Amino acid sequence: MRILWRILLAIGLPVVLVAGWWFDSAGSEDFYQPALSTIVDAFGRTWTWEMFQEQVFPSLWRLLAGYFLAVLLGVALGALIGLSRSSRQVLEPVLEFLRAFPPPVLVPIAILLAGIGDRTKILVIVFGCVWPVLLNTIEGVRARDEVLSDTCRTYRITGLLRLRHLVLRAASPQIVTGARQALPLAIILMVISEMMAANEGLGFTVLQFQRGFQIPEMWSGVLLLGLIGIVLSLLFRLAERSLLGWYHGQRAGQREF
Amino acid sequence: MLEVKNLHKVYDGHGRRVTAVGDLTFSVPEGQFACVVGPSGCGKTTLLRVLAGLLPATSGEVRVQDAPVTAPPPGLAVVFQEYGRSLFPWLRVRENVELPLKAQGMARAERRKLAADALAAVALSDADSAYPWQLSGGMQQRVAIARAIAFQPKVLLMDEPFAAVDAQTRADLEDLVRSVWQRLGVTLLFVTHDIDEAVYLGQRVIVLSASPTTVAEDLTVDLPADRDQLTTRSDPRFTELRSQVYARIRKVKAPASEGAPA
Repeated sequence: MRILWRILLAIGLPVVLVAGWWFDSAGSEDFYQPALSTIVDAFGRTWTWEMFQEQVFPSLWRLLAGYFLAVLLGVALGALIGLSRSSRQVLEPVLEFLRAFPPPVLVPIAILLAGIGDRTKILVIVFGCVWPVLLNTIEGVRARDEVLSDTCRTYRITGLLRLRHLVLRAASPQIVTGARQALPLAIILMVISEMMAANEGLGFTVLQFQRGFQIPEMWSGVLLLGLIGIVLSLLFRLAERSLLGWYHGQRAGQREF
Repeated sequence: MLEVKNLHKVYDGHGRRVTAVGDLTFSVPEGQFACVVGPSGCGKTTLLRVLAGLLPATSGEVRVQDAPVTAPPPGLAVVFQEYGRSLFPWLRVRENVELPLKAQGMARAERRKLAADALAAVALSDADSAYPWQLSGGMQQRVAIARAIAFQPKVLLMDEPFAAVDAQTRADLEDLVRSVWQRLGVTLLFVTHDIDEAVYLGQRVIVLSASPTTVAEDLTVDLPADRDQLTTRSDPRFTELRSQVYARIRKVKAPASEGAPA
């Protein structure tokens, strides 16, 4: 019963908003803002299995490749910087400088260097997504518990065991926070890079529709991007739940006592 | 075997020098159960951290099993006061107990057996697949004790391990520590601020003075080896010893200055 109620609460507002859009736009004569029913109609016609294979899957592949590379890189660099004071002193100014670039500005440069293939787009996504993961990992690794560190030292838990059980697991709540912030960034950068330089992909397709005055189709592409965002964040939550079960359990326990 | 010779520890930071341990000399022979008591802020925890190799001494020498301590010595285990922070919350109880053994490269089957025996010794066999935060405070501290048992140390240090549990649990844990010590035959240094606890547990009570710390009194507890919360605590000799320790602590506390870290 409670689960049902929670689901109702979660989807209540979206349902109201979509219904509002549906009735408000019904019978719309505006060429640029077609009725939602027209858009939904176009959605069914446009996004066929073939379209998915040709346009959507390549985008998703770049999105996921870029995202996971960014998380990997962010965690590895973050652990290094969080653990070693000297590496922090050497790397921090450079990282601050690099972080100041808006990632889309890299697209023209990356095109010159790497062409308009997958590599350019993955590079741009990595460059944009690595920062929240990196900064949160550094904070998490630096904030590891002193008593737990002492425990590792007295029981001679060193090397990889220490890295895994003390450094990374202790930082995992922060790492997950960073990864959660990076996820929408990855989608944004995927679309932008495809709008600037591509001959396929979701961003490219939406732009093509707009330029070809296929307005309902364009809207349907935007809708699809939104849906992809929702699905990815749901998947993220599932992964988080299994990874951070201990963390939420511990916090729930602390509230009880 | 534990030896502390002219140990001196000064914390130096932010332009302020704090002498935590003045000049400390004592030794604990193989297999002895020694309790260290002293007024709060007398450097008990500092002493323990130096002994454990977690903190360098400013001067003087500390030896564990005849080797000078420069890093955490092998064969030494510590049970910390903050049980909630010394267990890995992302590992189950059994995995927590096994982790130090895994770090030694011990084979899985042997690890399992040692962990199971240690958990049985603290009466936590049923909880081996729970997470630490699903257990009560006293149970968590028992997990930490089981981890120390499974490690099979020659020397066991305990830093006010029962300061944060309720009185009833505390009495049970005291008896548990006594029985573990009798079974394992380890050298045990037990730091506490509770005089009754020190006298009840130890074969010997070392009373520290207020900062700068020295040994104010070194007392042999000549109570029978079989101790019991009811009979031992009502033994006239017990009362006599605890009054002696109490008087000593009151005396060392009186002229002291406050403000040194614990």
